[in-house]
Amino acid sequence: MFLQTVLVLATFTTPEQIGTTPQSMLLLLPLVAAVSVAYKATKVKRITAAAFLTESALLFGSILVFMALTALVLCVIAWFVTG
Amino acid sequence: MINTDSQNNRSLLMLSVMLTGWLVPGGGYFLLKEYSRAVIILLTLTLTFCAGLYIGSIGVIDPVGAKLWYVTQLLFSPAVALIGRVTAVGRFGVYGRPAEIGQIYTTIAGLLNLLCIVNAVYSASTHNRPGGK
Repeated sequence: MFLQTVLVLATFTTPEQIGTTPQSMLLLLPLVAAVSVAYKATKVKRITAAAFLTESALLFGSILVFMALTALVLCVIAWFVTG
Repeated sequence: MINTDSQNNRSLLMLSVMLTGWLVPGGGYFLLKEYSRAVIILLTLTLTFCAGLYIGSIGVIDPVGAKLWYVTQLLFSPAVALIGRVTAVGRFGVYGRPAEIGQIYTTIAGLLNLLCIVNAVYSASTHNRPGGK
């Protein structure tokens, strides 16, 4: 048990290998989920499973759509600027 | 006299909610007996913070080279200061993408905790008040 604890703690002392690949953008998803859940936890008046999950999912989707649109606009601007 | 006592009690409640919310994420809501809210916030923020530490290692908490990031990470909990004392020696250097992502995760966890603390203190200020929550 002690050894297992030490091994688990040791994983927090060395960074993971993450390249600058398009796949690394997927690390955005857990962060967006955390923001949606924490924000809705403070805003929903009375927490019930169904209402809370629906509200969080809606916010999660809205953030993703807005970020995709922003990325698209930036790509178009970059395309115009670079020719 | 009663009003002053009640105001003092409310101020004390707001202060304890703020401190508990900083000591343990979601702790402020726990004091206000909003248990489900407290558990959701505790789990979400702790998972986000730990994910950041796992991705970038504890080296992302850098009180020497990244002071501004450190201040926002400190909003998560005073426990961050303990990690900061360990990493201040400079044995856990982390660079590139893992450092970026780890810092973003841990900082967002800290800022979300600030949001939760502010909201819990506001709830405490209207707690059991006619017309309040």
